[in-house]
Amino acid sequence: MTDDADSGEAAADGGETADRERTGDGLGAGLRRLSGRLLVALATAALLALLGVAAVVAPESSVGRLFGIVVSTSTLSATLRLSVPIVFAAIGGIFAEKSGVINIGLEGLLIISAFSAVYGADVTGSMLAGLLIGVLASTVLAAVFAVVCIEYRADQIIAGLAVWLIALGLAPFASQVVYGSPNTDSVGTLGTWTIPVLADIPLLGALFDAAPPVYLMFVTVAGAWYVLNRTAFGRWVRAAGENPRALDTAGVDVSRVRYAAVLISGVLSGIGGAALAFNIGQFTGNGPTMVNGKGFIAIVAYLFGNYNPVGALGSTMLFAGLDAVQLRLQTRQILGVPDSLVQTIPFVAVIVVLALVGRTRIPEAAGEHYESGEE
Amino acid sequence: MTDSGETGRTATDAVHLDGITKRFPGVVANDDVDLQVERGSVHALLGENGAGKTTLMNVLYGLYEPDEGRVVVDGTPRDFDSPRDAIDAGVGMIHQHFMLVDPMTVTENITLGNEPERWLGLSIDRERAREEVVDLSERYGFDVDPDARIEDVGVGVQQRVEILKALYRGADVLILDEPTAVLTPQEVRELFGVFEELTAQGKTIIFITHKLREAMTAADDITVLRAGKTVGTLGAADASRERLAELMVGREILLDVDRPAADPGETVLDVRDLTVEDTRGVRAVDDVSLSVREGEVFGIAGVDGNGQAELVEAIAGLREVDGGAISLGGWDATDASRRDRIDAGMAYVPEDRQESGLVMDFDLVSNGLLGSQHARPFAENGRIDWDAAREHAEEIVAEYDVRPANVDARAASLSGGNQQKFVVGREFARDPRLVVASHPTRGVDVGSTEFIHDRINDLRSDGRAVLLVSSKLDEVQSLSDRLAVIYEGSFVDVVDPDAVTEEQLGLLMAGEQPDADVSVGEVSQ
Repeated sequence: MTDDADSGEAAADGGETADRERTGDGLGAGLRRLSGRLLVALATAALLALLGVAAVVAPESSVGRLFGIVVSTSTLSATLRLSVPIVFAAIGGIFAEKSGVINIGLEGLLIISAFSAVYGADVTGSMLAGLLIGVLASTVLAAVFAVVCIEYRADQIIAGLAVWLIALGLAPFASQVVYGSPNTDSVGTLGTWTIPVLADIPLLGALFDAAPPVYLMFVTVAGAWYVLNRTAFGRWVRAAGENPRALDTAGVDVSRVRYAAVLISGVLSGIGGAALAFNIGQFTGNGPTMVNGKGFIAIVAYLFGNYNPVGALGSTMLFAGLDAVQLRLQTRQILGVPDSLVQTIPFVAVIVVLALVGRTRIPEAAGEHYESGEE
Repeated sequence: MTDSGETGRTATDAVHLDGITKRFPGVVANDDVDLQVERGSVHALLGENGAGKTTLMNVLYGLYEPDEGRVVVDGTPRDFDSPRDAIDAGVGMIHQHFMLVDPMTVTENITLGNEPERWLGLSIDRERAREEVVDLSERYGFDVDPDARIEDVGVGVQQRVEILKALYRGADVLILDEPTAVLTPQEVRELFGVFEELTAQGKTIIFITHKLREAMTAADDITVLRAGKTVGTLGAADASRERLAELMVGREILLDVDRPAADPGETVLDVRDLTVEDTRGVRAVDDVSLSVREGEVFGIAGVDGNGQAELVEAIAGLREVDGGAISLGGWDATDASRRDRIDAGMAYVPEDRQESGLVMDFDLVSNGLLGSQHARPFAENGRIDWDAAREHAEEIVAEYDVRPANVDARAASLSGGNQQKFVVGREFARDPRLVVASHPTRGVDVGSTEFIHDRINDLRSDGRAVLLVSSKLDEVQSLSDRLAVIYEGSFVDVVDPDAVTEEQLGLLMAGEQPDADVSVGEVSQ
């Protein structure tokens, strides 16, 4: 080729420019992603600071009393309690979606395990056995979902909605059959584990005076982060969701990785559902049941947390914190706002946050079937 | 031509495929194909689209099981059930579409599935993985940053990562499927340098291509496939472009076309001082003027990314103009809609057939309708006449030899070359006054390229105006009557394509003026 030498130079220039631009795009997108989340974090901090200042200036005003409610040991403790089911479901959702299977049925997994755990505890007389039975029920349902999606290539969104609807119908029905009411009998609640000395720290003491599931939640968040980022399995999960063919040609069975990830979401949601039920000691099955959208909030939480377990914990604490505040505001009548409006605070926050976050980087192959050897 | 069956050098061959036959429902993709590849050599597998090259390599890589024949690697007959078996036997394949995970780093991609572990598998040994990758790239002289993310590096580097991935898994035989399709000329040369480095260290390379020059430049031996059969194996030294082209296509190919002198008529397209910004707001086209007359082909040459894409899109009506004017046969089309431009007689062959030329999930009947869905004879009173649409698609398929000749097939099921032929056919069938063709033969095999070139010449002698953009120099040079060279958004010069040499063009494409004056002056005569 006679033109090689001359055009080659120009081509090299063009190539480098293209590379630089690509890098630039990546950085720009990264900053934009960051800015949405940063904005939410900063806004939250600023709001708290503003309340704090107002409280110092005028401790007896309604703003001052609001601060007293928001920043208190009991609010933090309620926040942690309310976070547990959402965080477990969210981390389960992270595993499933990172592997390429969008598990929109987390809500259903929470419902089925909440009922099964109570029923199990009631029958066996042991909370631990109840937990295991709850986890088993949720995992079996997740397994059905996995088979339908992975083996039979069903649409993941529709199958996920089916999981929710099945659980939404099945759990109250089973309760009706066994207990004669959508609400089960009470099986007692879990006590708290109090860590001496640490529990006496003002405000943060709530972290060391909590029910066992709260501690388990923190361990799970750390463990999930480690598994996803530091183990070969975690890397396979990510590869299965980003470019399954790359994983397949590297000699790893994509379906097995996806099955494992979905089953993990079943196990974790099972723990979350059981913890939710044991928190008040019974399963209540009226309307949206006691789960009441927590599985869906979990999806928002992990999206907002950008599929990072720690991020999911942070965003859950934000939503759960608002929920805790809202619960306490209902009893105080500080601002003279009707209860029903106050109750919408967490949901309004979800919408605002979603709008602010903008784009989350969804795994490339999420929601897509993968069949080995398909050309 | 050497009769590959009787060279008798099996003992030293890295790969010997013996009488491979692979049938798919309705097609024999490989029919008693023989291939012998000497250890430490570069072997090109040359053939047109659909000649069975990729099928043959998929057999060697264990993706397909052959219906007949033997696969012998290193003198040992093998029976591969899966790529895993092939990898274990030292055969690695680099696919045309890279199998890389974009958000992961180079190291993570190379070690995927074979991660070095510690603590009883509880953790990936990331230091060791990184060291191994660094060692490997140093041994073969690859310049690759082990910590870079795939999405941040160029295709050339991604390809090297793919090669490293295969080497990391212990490959001795590397199969590359159309490795140059996505590379710039500079990257192609670097890749061929990599080939030399690898063969010097005893690796064997088989690469699939349909580009004659590449096969002759990079390979030691060339095996030509045609319609699923081995046509012959030649030493690269004994090969000539003409001979290879004839073997590939099975008839004589005119690589250079003689054609009558231009007899240009009235100006059809007139572009004045056009300025266009790209998606990021950077000025991509800077004060460009040009005109194309009836019976004339106006070519634009340049390295990709110098504003050709934006210029063409602005003219086609797909991109907003930031300054200047576009007129179509005296009608001011600067802000005209796409549909108005089509109705005014503009046909457009887009650069990326899959992104903007076809709806991949539609069948050919619907795809043939695109752009004419509102007009007679296909539409009346808002209803589409599907019989007319089908007839139209069938005409295109027949005239442009689109295979398979089935208008109910989805566009996605066609090979790239056949998709391109269909798009070109649809656009040329509009009875256009002006054809804007952007890379009309990109990814198309020799036979089809010749065919498309003939059609462009027909348009010209038929008195149509053609604006042709291509990064293939020989293409713009042989087809154009006037040739503009674009660099960083402006025309460096407009030259007489018959008088200019490739060296001079190369200089112009790099933004420099050659010593000899090749200009034909005024951009819009």
